Amino acid sequence: MASRVFLRRLIGAGLLVAALAGCKLSSYFTQDLIAEAAILAVFALSLDFLATCGLVSFGHAGLLGVGAYAFGGLTVLAGYSPGAALAAAVLAGLIVALAAGVLAVRTTGAFFIMVTLALAEMFYSWVFRDRTFKGADGMGGVPRLDLSLIGVDLNDAASFSIFVVLLCAAIWLALEFLIVSPFGRTLDAIRQNAGRVSALGGSVFAYRLAAFTISGGIAAFAGAFKVQHTNFLSPDLAGWLASGDVLIAVVIGGIGTLVGGILGAAILVFLKDFLSSHFGHWYLFLGAIFMMVAIGLPRGIVGWVVELRGKRP
Amino acid sequence: MTIALETRDLGKSFGSLVATRNVSLAFEAGLRHAIIGPNGAGKTTFFNLLAGNLRPDGGRVLLGDRDVTHLGLAQRARLGIARSFQRNNVFMDLTVLENLVFARAVREKRTAVFWRSLRSYGDLREGAEAIAEKVGLTGDLDTLARSLSYGGQRQLEVGLALACDPKVLLLDEPTAGMSPEETARMRDLIRQLPGSLTMVIIEHDMDLVMDIADSITVLDYGSVLTQGTPTEIRASELVRERYLGGAAANPAGAL
Repeated sequence: MASRVFLRRLIGAGLLVAALAGCKLSSYFTQDLIAEAAILAVFALSLDFLATCGLVSFGHAGLLGVGAYAFGGLTVLAGYSPGAALAAAVLAGLIVALAAGVLAVRTTGAFFIMVTLALAEMFYSWVFRDRTFKGADGMGGVPRLDLSLIGVDLNDAASFSIFVVLLCAAIWLALEFLIVSPFGRTLDAIRQNAGRVSALGGSVFAYRLAAFTISGGIAAFAGAFKVQHTNFLSPDLAGWLASGDVLIAVVIGGIGTLVGGILGAAILVFLKDFLSSHFGHWYLFLGAIFMMVAIGLPRGIVGWVVELRGKRP
Repeated sequence: MTIALETRDLGKSFGSLVATRNVSLAFEAGLRHAIIGPNGAGKTTFFNLLAGNLRPDGGRVLLGDRDVTHLGLAQRARLGIARSFQRNNVFMDLTVLENLVFARAVREKRTAVFWRSLRSYGDLREGAEAIAEKVGLTGDLDTLARSLSYGGQRQLEVGLALACDPKVLLLDEPTAGMSPEETARMRDLIRQLPGSLTMVIIEHDMDLVMDIADSITVLDYGSVLTQGTPTEIRASELVRERYLGGAAANPAGAL
């Protein structure tokens, strides 16, 4: 039997190959879905990384929204180049997460869920009302990154999907290494037993805050690419339904496995596409599938496979 | 004599329940101090005040000359107050070695590192293995904590506290729930800890207490009833009446 880490990475590599093959071989429409899945996967990675330290956020779309609005606002309204706007969006995500985290990570469990939800809804109601970003109507014309320097046109669907798939893979790999670092192992120790980490002399608050901040930066990064993908900025990006969708993706794939978030995002995007083209009440079916996974496979698909087939490293 | 840890007029109430009442105690360095008392006497609350899990309503806690009253659990741990818990409180999903290596990494402030893996900390392994030997877990280094026997988890519990390089070691009922054999092993383990280490132990097993303690404090209703050597405590009428043989001292046999 292979080690669990190896199995997780094997699943990741398999998904990467499948996604790249899909980008090369399939139709425009499928490429578009792959890009959507890859961006949702980055978002799911940000949420699952936070789960490493035992925190499950129900307001993560707020942080995605910060990145999306920073990117969209700076490019469309302030005329920034997409590259500079991307850097600013990530920075905004880090700063907002740091500030919000000072409040939020003092709590855990249901209280953390409520605090993150409340903070995200505050952001949502602001961008929903404020006319700077055209409020509820949303704002179009968001440009994509200019990679003409290396001969890549991201306005081409295939190129864009390959690009975001590679970005997702890079972030996933970086997080795979981060979770086995002393920092990452401390987050895992906090998830297992925060009281004991304190008793050993570790600062649970500081580590949780650091994890929340990093997670916010990644979520904002995903947000900046989500608006590049659709070229459109809308408050719904930051609403609680979006927070729920990414949570569903992580739970289906397997919370605490990282690659599970990617698999879950892919399943969610393609399932949604399939269900919504056949049924009117497709959320009903999605909900049923979600419940079956949550009850039958409480550690998600990846968690189930890894536990079934993998031995502990 | 040097005082390692001291409390002055320490008090803590939960609503109308006074759990700790004006406790002033000095724990001499390098001795094994036991705290005994009936259930509900406030022993664990007192421990939580010493370790920093709880903040007192009044009074002070001093580590040597330093006032640590306003410091939290983690800060006190960094200054040298380490504790074990009454209920096993280890990292269940880690092996014994991983538990101890992690504890050493926290102790050496080497956890804020994200560019290498924790497994690359080979130098921490030695320290972790030395602690495993002290607590009798050398044969179980690669066993998951959740797969250890209850007694083994208890030993790891003490090992995690030792990994903090404590000046003062607080052990909250180290033999709670243990079989007689496991209790004997824990007694040997406590005896073999270095003499320089100041220990405060809450324990219900009177044989163990009389055997290992240099000094015994009896708590009752949150206050210090008396303090003395095991011989003095054994001889004390007050302790016999209130705690050790309460029923026997009461002719009616009523409790």
